[in-house]
Amino acid sequence: MPLLNESATSGPVFVFLVVFAVILLGPIVVSRFGLPGLIGLVLGGYVIGAHGLGLIPAGDQTVPELGQLGLLYLMFVAGLELDLQILRENRRAAIGLGLLAFVVPGGLGVCIGLGLGWSHGATLLLGALLASHTLIVYPTLREAGLSDTRPVASAVGATVLTDTLALITLAVVAGAETDPGAVPRVIAKIAIGFVVLGIFSIAVLPRLVEAVLRQWGADGVARYLVILVAMLGTSLLALAFGIEGIIGAFFAGLALNSLVPNEGPSMEQVEFFGTAVFVPIFLVSIGLLLDPSVMFTGDALSLAALICGAAFIGKAVACWVAGAWLGFSWPERLTMYVLTVPQAAATLAVTLIGFEIGLFGVTVVNAVLVLIVVSILLAAILTRRVVGWMPAPERGSGRLGARVLVVTPVTGPSDAAVRAAALLSRPDGGSSELVVTRAPGEPAPDSAELRGVRQRLARHGFEGTLRVEVADVSDAVRRAAAAGEHSVVIVDEPAFDHAPTGIPLLVVDGGLSGPSVELVHGGGSEIDEMVAEIQRRFARDAPRARTLRRGSGAMTGRLGSVTVRRRPVAAAAAGDGGAADG
Amino acid sequence: MRGCIQASITNGRWHGALRRAAAALAAASLVLLVAGCMAGGDAAGASFKPVHPGVLAVATALVPAPGFWEGPPGNGGFEAQLATALAHRLGLNRVRIVQVPFGQIVGGHLNGADIAMSQLTPTSERERSLDFSTAYLTAPPGVLAREGVEARDLKSLQALRWVTSRTSTLTPIVMNEVRPDTTPLSVEDRSAALAVLRSGRADALLLDLPVALGLAREDPGQFTVLGQLPGNEGLAAALPNGSPNLEIVDTELRALQADGTIDRLRARWLGSEAAVPLIRTEG
Repeated sequence: MPLLNESATSGPVFVFLVVFAVILLGPIVVSRFGLPGLIGLVLGGYVIGAHGLGLIPAGDQTVPELGQLGLLYLMFVAGLELDLQILRENRRAAIGLGLLAFVVPGGLGVCIGLGLGWSHGATLLLGALLASHTLIVYPTLREAGLSDTRPVASAVGATVLTDTLALITLAVVAGAETDPGAVPRVIAKIAIGFVVLGIFSIAVLPRLVEAVLRQWGADGVARYLVILVAMLGTSLLALAFGIEGIIGAFFAGLALNSLVPNEGPSMEQVEFFGTAVFVPIFLVSIGLLLDPSVMFTGDALSLAALICGAAFIGKAVACWVAGAWLGFSWPERLTMYVLTVPQAAATLAVTLIGFEIGLFGVTVVNAVLVLIVVSILLAAILTRRVVGWMPAPERGSGRLGARVLVVTPVTGPSDAAVRAAALLSRPDGGSSELVVTRAPGEPAPDSAELRGVRQRLARHGFEGTLRVEVADVSDAVRRAAAAGEHSVVIVDEPAFDHAPTGIPLLVVDGGLSGPSVELVHGGGSEIDEMVAEIQRRFARDAPRARTLRRGSGAMTGRLGSVTVRRRPVAAAAAGDGGAADG
Repeated sequence: MRGCIQASITNGRWHGALRRAAAALAAASLVLLVAGCMAGGDAAGASFKPVHPGVLAVATALVPAPGFWEGPPGNGGFEAQLATALAHRLGLNRVRIVQVPFGQIVGGHLNGADIAMSQLTPTSERERSLDFSTAYLTAPPGVLAREGVEARDLKSLQALRWVTSRTSTLTPIVMNEVRPDTTPLSVEDRSAALAVLRSGRADALLLDLPVALGLAREDPGQFTVLGQLPGNEGLAAALPNGSPNLEIVDTELRALQADGTIDRLRARWLGSEAAVPLIRTEG
């Protein structure tokens, strides 16, 4: 009997070992050659795949299926991280760029198909696959702090439009090929699907997820799983109507956008798993498809050159024209370009379905694989330069709920303060932080007490972090003002009576007679506007009797009117913390 | 001020020009899309080059072959009508049947035909002489027996008297997975094996399931299909080694699969495989 078991080099454990080794080492190795990390993942996929060293056998479905999940995840995170206010502000730009980025490369693709004498279905599919794109370099731009900029918001919004149009084209062509009488039925089904998806994402999913998070959200694992289930459920709903799952995932991201703020702990979990596992596996799964022996044949390379030219020139024209129309600088236009030029997800979906239904031959599939690799390489290399050329993003959006700090004594927090934080941050997709202060001799809250606080925070829809500080409330507020990292500070101490700082201070009294809120502010022309905005947000307050308990006393009433206490701003604090002024 | 007005006019003109350009672009794309819809060229990636212009020459060994080639050549049967549908998709006017002995076909000699359709199972040995298309039928092993013979499990299959063909790729399955109690009668080819079965000197013969179904359908008083064994092989078209037509034939067969043509032909000429019980073997 041999000492070592040969079968250990096959099976899921071996496959996962090889894949995660590539995820670890791929980016490190290619970075030595000055190439972006994601190229290392794609090339690593080829090396371990059936056409490389053969460590992952040809029929293996584990990596491709996990790659599918990674693709959904990529689109989901793009929707989740999107600054909806910036998207709203740039919706014209997104629609304009989306239409141009679909029509120009798509039109060139149709020209190529017609020129080569392809059938109408194959011609339309070639146009659709060239028109689509994948946000491969979005994580790089996000890391560079550019996710809130106009070109990125426009390009991300445009992606929804181009990919949706491309996938609608795919659904219609595939429907027509498999059942020639089905075109009107396919179109009607997709139209109904988008209506259902829209209603579900706007009206049902956010409420459903919020209700579940209020119940189980204190547990970080449960919180993450709820988000994952929401993503997969919406993707499945899209698939049920013949719409690609990636569109459903993106809708799910948009639906949960305000429930999962970008700086919050849930987003940290989402990003961690995305960066470490799901998205890299998607890139590795693309690498598994590469077969140089058939990709680099005369026919495939000629066709690849044609479609690469059409895709790269088409996207460049679209971004340049859209950029000129929007008054973007050339680095901003290039930023749109690097986001819209990589072809992977929808391109692959369109190509493989075209192959399965007999519209594309193996030459087309190989040419498209060349396009995918070259487009990713081009985008990854350009992105590193574009990040350097883009002006530094402005810090501190100035939005009231961007980053809310709640400071409370060890007896807190009151339900009113927690609700106030949730209500202020939610519309801006902002995050919250709770600081429980205690005096030096005071015993620290034990883990059971902290768990109880976390459960109460979850019940009120508070998405943020909790920490305990040895300080009194005034010191904690002063430090926060000096740091200037928060957009508003909620002081959960009715007796708080210090001079206002450069940051708006809301003093909350969750007393037995009902909550009251006082805005301590140094004055200024925007004060009335701020009070109106706070009251507008508090108007959504809907406390449930069961949850309105603070200490021993039951509270009633909603957060409502805000009184204003005007005082001169404390000089030192104002000088130190001038970043956010509501 | 004048500069501002000038800039505004320039800006307005620029926006107007952009709008017109975008509209023109959209219109041009629409025209291209409509033109694309009206075009009727080849499926993308390759085109078919027949030996004789306008004709798809198809080599086959057994005519008639119940379920596959029936009636006057090219008129009835699964493979006959599949060849017609394929010729239509390839833009060819007609199909010409070339009868070639099975041994010659698997040896790579198609006698000038473009393609062979003769219930062929791709094997690595045959791939040395031929290029195989994507499979157009799944073909697990099927047990063809004389009418009146019964067997529902492996043990009762082993008790039957078997006949095997020396040219069949299924003979090793009979020997290694069924493992009959008595040594099977070995004959030269399928015709001889069917003759032995008809004569009553054997009870069962292992064939590709669609072939077995075709025979049982043609002669229900003589044959019955007892069951199917586990397997995932298929029947495919074969082309001469290195044929430039392989890609387009593959593509068009996938299209015939996608639009339901193959399912319709299978249902009409071969019947349903789903109704045939699965008999598990130990292999």
